[in-house]
Amino acid sequence: MYTQKVLEHFRNPHNFGSMDNPDALGQVGNLACGDVMKLYLKIAKNKDGQDYIEDVKFETLGCAAAIATSSVVTDLAKNKTLTEALKIKNEDIIKALDDLPTIKIHCSLLAADALAEAIYSYFQKTNQPISKELEQLHQRIVTCQTRLKH
Amino acid sequence: MKLSTKTRYGLRALANLIGQDGCCSIKQISKNEHISSDYLEKIFSKLKKAGILKVERGATGGYNLNCDPKKTTLKEVVNALEKAEFICPDFCSCQSKSVWQKIQSGFTNVLSSITLNQLVDSKTKSVYLDYAASTPVDPEVLNTMLPYFDFSYAGNTMSLHQMGTSASQVVETCRQSFANILNALPKEIIFTASATESNNTVLKGIAFANKSKGKHIIISSIEHDCVLESAAWLKTQGFEISQISVDKDGLLNLDELKKTIRKDTILVSVIHGNNEIGTIQDLASIGQICHDRGVYFHTDASQSFTKVPLDLSKLNIDLLTASSHKIYGPKGAALLYIKTGTKITPLLHGGGHEFGIRSSTLNLPAVVGFTKAAEIAMANFDQENARLIKLRDYLIKNILETIPDSHLNGHPTDRLSNNINISFDRVEGESLLLELDYYGIAASTGSACSSSSLEPSHVLLAIGLKPEQSHGSLRFSLGRFTTKSDADYLLKVLPQVINKFRALSPFKS
Ligand code: FES
Repeated sequence: MYTQKVLEHFRNPHNFGSMDNPDALGQVGNLACGDVMKLYLKIAKNKDGQDYIEDVKFETLGCAAAIATSSVVTDLAKNKTLTEALKIKNEDIIKALDDLPTIKIHCSLLAADALAEAIYSYFQKTNQPISKELEQLHQRIVTCQTRLKH
Repeated sequence: MKLSTKTRYGLRALANLIGQDGCCSIKQISKNEHISSDYLEKIFSKLKKAGILKVERGATGGYNLNCDPKKTTLKEVVNALEKAEFICPDFCSCQSKSVWQKIQSGFTNVLSSITLNQLVDSKTKSVYLDYAASTPVDPEVLNTMLPYFDFSYAGNTMSLHQMGTSASQVVETCRQSFANILNALPKEIIFTASATESNNTVLKGIAFANKSKGKHIIISSIEHDCVLESAAWLKTQGFEISQISVDKDGLLNLDELKKTIRKDTILVSVIHGNNEIGTIQDLASIGQICHDRGVYFHTDASQSFTKVPLDLSKLNIDLLTASSHKIYGPKGAALLYIKTGTKITPLLHGGGHEFGIRSSTLNLPAVVGFTKAAEIAMANFDQENARLIKLRDYLIKNILETIPDSHLNGHPTDRLSNNINISFDRVEGESLLLELDYYGIAASTGSACSSSSLEPSHVLLAIGLKPEQSHGSLRFSLGRFTTKSDADYLLKVLPQVINKFRALSPFKS
């Protein structure tokens, strides 16, 4: 049911593990089945003075699709500026994996959400302006999580 | 350039023999590997000539290795069986000659780099531990079935001509055989096409036939989906359903059952051996309660049939389901026992087959196969179940001991001889299954992620597991072809697999 790409990332995930003193952390849980993903970012300034993702690590409890999407989102995000990274949508993740079974689409949302949450928390920490879009996304993710806890 | 069947079968048979740890008969290997014994005999005598195998005499006699599997390479085995050459003839000096020479030397290199031991341990090993999902058809069962596809049995069992009559005679013999096994009357045995059909017939058939008495039906909280879904559908038809809870080991709460039975209760349906956690219910007590209150009692014995003794003359059971493909019979056959005098409406109306309870032309070969499978299983009942229990407990003990934060689900002793269900904290079942599959191990899980509804297993929730614990559950179900070496292989692979995903998990112990 999974594509070769999914299986490759699942078997040999890229950038997995925790990170000491990350500059940003995004943790999301998934409503549908209670899976959890944690994304760590190390952020630096590029030569144009923009914030970019110098390093990224993930930890995921979940199915093969959740692990593969986590792995692929770290690949997609690495070395991108935060503005670019925020443009990564779950469609991009699915495309990078050559497809996902429909029932597993929510797992790719998990990965995209974790990235957005990490960047949101970084903007907050460094007092950077937060776009209306990102704020809305953050609100949606947070409501999902609190509902999950009940 | 194709490797001959002889070599492929030879390697498979040798691997199987090594897996048995010791002397093994041709018959056993032929059964395990589905290779005809005549053909195996030919292969083995060549291997004997080459000094790879030897014959041992005596009661436990058979073939045994005559070489060190750590040192003997596949090259020696292949050479003993055939001359595998990828070369142009000597006189040829064509352009492609060097290609063939390279292939030949590569071929030899590969074969001489793999020892017999590595062959057995390699990832290509396949260990099926999902017998509770379905079993392979026993070759002996298949052989028994084959003649019944023939012209002489082409008739419908309801037809009056010769062929119909001979077919119907065969069915009656099968019915008798099940009557003997279950200690029931032949006319109390109805053949159906699946356990799902039997269970549907019971729930809907009893409900609609006994409406005048009442519309209340009781099931347990750990039934198979086909019972749950039938009950849910009956609810939409105006019936009332109560679910009786189970304790942490999965045993039915008998007091709750007693309290829940009402004047208008018409049926109690409780699964005998649970398909997920293996817990075996106390049918005698449940049957007694139902009998005292004058309520029909049905049990789904799909998993327990031929694994737990079932004497229907002693138990107060009115209806019982058993299935063929769980006991090395073909798919597409099952039975429903209906005690004489039970009021039930058929699900399938038509030509009036099976005493009018189940119209449909019978699947004769499948019924014959089912019967043969049951006969074989009953003939080896004590021995095989004792063997499985030993293997089961060996695995449970070792898994719980070697893997921290692992918990057995289901009853420790009132448990199907072949069922193991364990939860591992901080991991998810679907990813475990997929990884185990890389090692050739087939198992199953109660994780929400692997179900089509993304809901965790209702059985695991019913015994009090939290959703996240059901997430990390694995079921290993053993069977007739599971060996001690399969068990040891699992014990070797499983801790690595669990560790891999625990390292990936955001939660640490
Ligand atoms: S993590 Fe549960 S379905 Fe993917």
